[in-house]
Amino acid sequence: MKQETAAHPAFKSRGAPRFNFSLGLRRSARENGLEILALLGGAAIWEALGWGLGLQWLPPFSRVMETLWQFVRSGAILANLGSSLWGLVVGFGLSLAFGLVLGALMGRYRSIERALDIYVHALFVCPSIVFAPIFFAIFGLSDAARIAIIVVYSTFVIVINTTAAIRTVDPSLVEMARSFGCREHQIFTRILLPASLPLVFAGIRLGMGRAVKGMINGEMLIAFVGLGALAQRYGAQFDATKVFAIAMVVLIIGLVSNWLVQMLDQRFTSWAN
Amino acid sequence: MVAGLFRLLLSEPRFWEALYVSNQALILGYAFSVVVGISLGLIAGRFHWMDRLLNPYVGVLLAMPVAPLIPIVIIALGLGLAARVFIVVLFAFVFITVNTRAGVRGVEPSLIEMAKSFGASEGQIWRRIVLPGAMPAIFAGMRIGLGRSITGMVMVELLLVASGLGRLLLEFSGRMQSDLVFATVLAVIIEALVLLTAMQAIERRIAGWAPDISIG
Amino acid sequence: MIRVRGLSKEFATSDNGGGGVLALSNIDFEVRDNEFITVIGPSGCGKTTLLRIIAGLIPYDQGEVTIYGRPVTGPGPERAMVFQNFALMPWADIMTNVSFGLEIRGTPKEQSRATAKELIKLVGLEGFEQRLPKELSGGMQQRVGLARALAVNPQILLMDEPFGSVDEQTRRLLQEVLLSLWERERKTVVFITHSMDEAVMLGDRVMLMTPRPGRVKEMIDIPLNRPRLREVEKSSTFLEVKEYLWENLKAMQLE
Repeated sequence: MKQETAAHPAFKSRGAPRFNFSLGLRRSARENGLEILALLGGAAIWEALGWGLGLQWLPPFSRVMETLWQFVRSGAILANLGSSLWGLVVGFGLSLAFGLVLGALMGRYRSIERALDIYVHALFVCPSIVFAPIFFAIFGLSDAARIAIIVVYSTFVIVINTTAAIRTVDPSLVEMARSFGCREHQIFTRILLPASLPLVFAGIRLGMGRAVKGMINGEMLIAFVGLGALAQRYGAQFDATKVFAIAMVVLIIGLVSNWLVQMLDQRFTSWAN
Repeated sequence: MVAGLFRLLLSEPRFWEALYVSNQALILGYAFSVVVGISLGLIAGRFHWMDRLLNPYVGVLLAMPVAPLIPIVIIALGLGLAARVFIVVLFAFVFITVNTRAGVRGVEPSLIEMAKSFGASEGQIWRRIVLPGAMPAIFAGMRIGLGRSITGMVMVELLLVASGLGRLLLEFSGRMQSDLVFATVLAVIIEALVLLTAMQAIERRIAGWAPDISIG
Repeated sequence: MIRVRGLSKEFATSDNGGGGVLALSNIDFEVRDNEFITVIGPSGCGKTTLLRIIAGLIPYDQGEVTIYGRPVTGPGPERAMVFQNFALMPWADIMTNVSFGLEIRGTPKEQSRATAKELIKLVGLEGFEQRLPKELSGGMQQRVGLARALAVNPQILLMDEPFGSVDEQTRRLLQEVLLSLWERERKTVVFITHSMDEAVMLGDRVMLMTPRPGRVKEMIDIPLNRPRLREVEKSSTFLEVKEYLWENLKAMQLE
């Protein structure tokens, strides 16, 4: 067995930098175990504080879970959930369409990028929520307003990532294709598209997260239907338990949608380590 | 036409009052976010076990929309300044933490080894290598946190229409003064862009030497 | 002088559970005062690990490592290190980088800067004091690393493949800079390299190491005159020693 030498303070080594913040990434079982333990610990503390402090705004964790289960069983939130999800699907779909096409064009053609870059960046940097009142003014209290908010939330991160994805394709691959006589559209479909997929998917994942946020933020401000509206209603009723339960539903939507995108990602880009 | 709109808005004294009230939540909220965010980020960067402990919560907070929790905050803290500040902090601090931590972790290990080879103490390594090395990421986090704080402020304004710009917007739309509504929203957008551009300029000065690895 | 007796070092592999990797086994050698030793060997022979142990950056498991009779337990003022990837602080200018070692060791700022200025001049970078590392070429950056190490006036210089990250022309130039600096003041140098030319050109003796686990195969004398000039590369002695190294290294590669 290894003998321990007297450790001089100078020998204390720092671990290698390692950073992952997405819950879905593959890691060793031990690391996953530790993090699940941390979450369980948090739930336990929540439970204890919930019972112990008896605050109106902090119901015990178990009660929240119970309410959530009630929601599922009774289908009470089904209509609202459906409405939210429908808005999400349409909004995200539109974002994908706009984002991928615009990003691809900007990535491939420098002139387009130069023309649009500053607007895209301004809109990306600007907190998207500020457009909510504008959409409300234009579309009124309607689905169109909600969907427009989701589109604004989600599109630009997809554009920026797609542009970067296409720009960082190894130029020697393109050169190689040209040397074999490939034409413009062939280069696009056979080289640029597959090569840029990993980064494009990164953008899609980010866009998915943004879309969920846009969905709920928009609903809380504008809609009379959807989960956001429910959260508002329960909040007005001072029913913290139900609000937490809705928050859980939103969290689950976020996690599931992220997981879906990841599955697709792995299916199509397994070659990129 | 836009200029005329603005003149109309800026002459309205309630606008300046509303701007002041709204920005109170923004400034206080942002300040607290920065303090909390950087502290947590430094701790997570320095202590492995703390990092592991916080990691799942950070992941959740990054992914999850904060908005549904706003009614909870209202139940707990009411509709006053405290609630508004707290909501802004909730929106922003995680992003500052995450970027700070990445900055600390991302410091080139060979630089730390180099400092050790000259006999540097832990304190010296932090002051002279880790903190300067992490500065770009910390500032990127502060920039992203500012954007998030503005989002929080706007959400607060539009949901808790008791005072500030939100109330103003409500009044304008109530009185069918849609041009003023547009102007007010435009004012918020301009404020956001000005603040964020200023932040980026500061960031570039402090961190001109480093590539962009920001999160968020 | 440096004395190493029966040194062994094992690295535990985290996922393995069971055994670790024996990086160094029973290392025995001495470096005399003012001697320039080059260390050569294939990948996995533990030469970088050995250097770090002498530098006091990592602990060792068995044996003893002493410098002037005192055992190594950490970094010390008599040693300074030069790194393969330069390890310059990208946010600080050249002047700050060169004075870093001095300031860490407690020298007041005024004095550090003055000493740094001299050394910057010595390595031929006068005028670049306010520049940032990214504005300098690889060769210039490593000269900064060298200046920083020399600034603390060490008796022992530990160099970890310092010229491995630059192109061949720059490498030859840096070798000449190093040799001329060393002729001015002959410090004890332990210099790790992958290049046989470099090993023979620079060293008084070459330490040949074998891998898995790392062991000292042989200490080879280099009977070439000092100061070493470029022409020496064409001498028969040079070629003989180099050939000898190559035969050994080739045999190790084929094992």
